[in-house]
Amino acid sequence: MLKRNNVVWRLLRRNVSVSQIVGYALANLVGLSIVLTAIQFYNDINQVWEEEDSFFSKDYLIISKRVSGVNTLFGNTAFSERDIEDIKSQPWTRKVGKFTAAAFDVRASINLGGHGVSSALFLESIPDDFFDIKPDDWGFTPGQREVPIILSKDYLALYNFGFATTRGLPQLSESTIGKVPLKLYLSRASDNATEVYAARIVGFSSRMNTIAVPQDFLEWANDRYATDKNKMPSRLIIEVNSPGNPDITSYLEQNNYEVAGDKVDNGKASYFLSIITAVVVSVGIIICILAFFILMLSIYLLLQKNKEKLHDLMLLGYSPSQVARYYYQLVGLVNVGVLAFAIIILLVATMLWRAPLDELGVEGASLLPSIIIGVVIVGIITIGNFVAITRNVKNNFYGK
Amino acid sequence: MIKTITLNNVLPRVFAGSEKESPVKDSQVWLHKLEFTCTNNYLIEAESGTGKSSLCSFIYGNRNDYSGEILFDGENVRNFTVERWCELRTHALALLPQEMRLFPELTTMENIQIKNRLTGYKTESEILDMLRRLEISDKVHQPAAYLSVGQQQRVAIVRALCQPFDFLILDEPVSHLDERNNAIVARLIDEEAKAQNASVIATSVGNKINLPMSIQINL
Repeated sequence: MLKRNNVVWRLLRRNVSVSQIVGYALANLVGLSIVLTAIQFYNDINQVWEEEDSFFSKDYLIISKRVSGVNTLFGNTAFSERDIEDIKSQPWTRKVGKFTAAAFDVRASINLGGHGVSSALFLESIPDDFFDIKPDDWGFTPGQREVPIILSKDYLALYNFGFATTRGLPQLSESTIGKVPLKLYLSRASDNATEVYAARIVGFSSRMNTIAVPQDFLEWANDRYATDKNKMPSRLIIEVNSPGNPDITSYLEQNNYEVAGDKVDNGKASYFLSIITAVVVSVGIIICILAFFILMLSIYLLLQKNKEKLHDLMLLGYSPSQVARYYYQLVGLVNVGVLAFAIIILLVATMLWRAPLDELGVEGASLLPSIIIGVVIVGIITIGNFVAITRNVKNNFYGK
Repeated sequence: MIKTITLNNVLPRVFAGSEKESPVKDSQVWLHKLEFTCTNNYLIEAESGTGKSSLCSFIYGNRNDYSGEILFDGENVRNFTVERWCELRTHALALLPQEMRLFPELTTMENIQIKNRLTGYKTESEILDMLRRLEISDKVHQPAAYLSVGQQQRVAIVRALCQPFDFLILDEPVSHLDERNNAIVARLIDEEAKAQNASVIATSVGNKINLPMSIQINL
């Protein structure tokens, strides 16, 4: 540390311009705070979209062909292999999953407080790796008599507020419905053979408006009960790299595809947020760069003024790094101080917008990424300063 | 440890092109082969402007604007790194610059300690002892700016002695000292050099240090 009574430091601190260093510190503080706060704001707001849909991340789109007069007649809303290949070849596509639909008759019955309800159903499935979270007992092996089901949240709302209230049936929460036993009746059209399976609802999705069963189950069941075994999917799930990309919207419109839910709109908002964040972060970084040059100029000036002393110290046998060490410490101390203050400003700013977020029931993102970015920026600035100091000190080694 | 310093055809760059003229033509150093070997004392006599401070600077690694080569035990010093030079300056080479180069804002003791803290060679009482012998012990806490040139010269000598060395280069060590002080300084330097089995290379433009010299060279 910089001891007040160290002889060398007493020599070298001459000409240290406090006002220049304070000027640098303030400028760098402003730049760094802007960068860190903008990044944290972006992460926190993104959390809103992610929280809203924890079952699927926002990078997934579910598409189907638009139902029009023409394809109603010819019944062709299925995606052909060529359609799928074309989607796969788009630059914004990461992977494509097919919805498998049950190609046989399904009925489900449920017994609620003595009232039996029975209805025809449809079942669908998607490959397991398109699920963000998987309920513990998700999966199926032939021979298993209980089938797990993931239901759209909309269906539960429809039941609770549309059906249960008018029929005098109990309203159900997500956790109680998991305990309600269901029965699935699967029947083969060719010989009317029917088998009964127990089923249980293990989770709810707010985005996937379907009744989903494990892919393994549906493949096995289609094989057993379906008449048309090679049906093409009528819905696809696509993992995209940026859902707000305008190319996606235009591609979908061109091909007359429809997107389920307001994914794309959310994506657009998130896309704009990332653009705005990028602009704000760039402004912050430009301020940081300018501040960096202020400090560099100040250091050059200081070393220039102390040129002779630096040379004389090396003449006595002080190595450049021994001499430069004092300036490293000065710069390091200032930079660590700037980083600390920037983190404090980040914390205070975060508190300001976390209150309204809390009311939305959204927890903010971790502060760690922003803090790490701050450390990296200050680290880069500090290394730049050190290199400049070392080079400059060494330049004074030879006399004239 | 340096045993020999060899000068091979060394010529300061400022003299390039005037090899046939004075002072180069009469010099026993420039464009000659010259060897300084350990424990011999050398006196380099010269008129001003012949480049004796340049010679000291070349040997001490402070300047490298010369042609020819300088070898330490056969190794060309031109390839030495800055770090290597700094290291040599703490345990093998000592220099008393002609212009002393004390830090005016530091006191006598601080000026000496700034060297000694690097080498840890002398204790504070040993330093005070040397200052007493050179009759400047009352100036210990005086900033160097307030010392007379003769006093500064003696402080700089003490500072140069605060390290182990094989060669002690003295650039006009007694130019501002009277006969009596010259003798005191010479005795101190002689004792230190003998104790270390070291060589002294001293320059002079007239006022020579009162030291037994093995070899005298005209620059």
